[in-house]
Amino acid sequence: MSKSLGIFVTNPDQFKHVMGITKAAKAKGSSVKVFFSWDATHNAKKEAGFPELCKIADDVSICVDSYKNMGYDIDDVPEGLEANKMATQAQHGIIIEDYDCYLSL
Amino acid sequence: MKILNVYRSAPDDTTKKLVEIVGRDRDVESFDLAVDAPDYDALVDKIFTADQTICWW
Amino acid sequence: MEYNKVCLMYRNQDCTVDGIRSALGLAVENMYAYGCVMDEPKMEKFDELQAESLEMLRDMEGDVFATTKENCELNDLEPLTIEELGEKLRDMTHIIPYGIIKA
Repeated sequence: MSKSLGIFVTNPDQFKHVMGITKAAKAKGSSVKVFFSWDATHNAKKEAGFPELCKIADDVSICVDSYKNMGYDIDDVPEGLEANKMATQAQHGIIIEDYDCYLSL
Repeated sequence: MKILNVYRSAPDDTTKKLVEIVGRDRDVESFDLAVDAPDYDALVDKIFTADQTICWW
Repeated sequence: MEYNKVCLMYRNQDCTVDGIRSALGLAVENMYAYGCVMDEPKMEKFDELQAESLEMLRDMEGDVFATTKENCELNDLEPLTIEELGEKLRDMTHIIPYGIIKA
């Protein structure tokens, strides 16, 4: 059984690595959760691959407070994301507590 | 304890200092993400075998 | 039960306040959470809400450090040298270089 992997993203310039690592981990049978905070919530609106990431990863969420702070309307749910995944920093806590391996990007 | 240092950019003196202290007397590996085509497969293998992964700026 | 110990490090003014909020979020989840404002940037003075966040973090046995005297005095942060930070990091379960370095 492959280990699970949680990725905490705070740098908006790392999206290609988020995708690459998620794909590689999924190919190994891993469960992957990704949480975007602060500047990195721009990825949800500006990265063409974001909807695909939502399909590939087991769980993708973004910090709704950060999203609002970056100037977006919280009712404007990014394509690919479920509305209930516009979430809080508790998602980061879940990554740390419940996933075997941790990566920040 | 096995530490994996991942670098998103070339480490400056401050990062190098922290890496040195954190890795003292420990088993340390590294991976450079700041290349054109990182081997993500190899990186994930390293993450899965490390006790702690630190992804520096 | 072993509690997680997490340290977030900030090297960009734009990330600092959110990074402290992130540390507070982890403290609420029963982790020991710390933040460290490193070398640059020069911080802005905390507003009331931000100062309150710092107090809440301290109430939950977390803290925020800074490596410059100016930032420590401005926002009542605990001073820490890079060497001391490194030693502190050795005790952490999770080490998070937060956000980006200001160009």
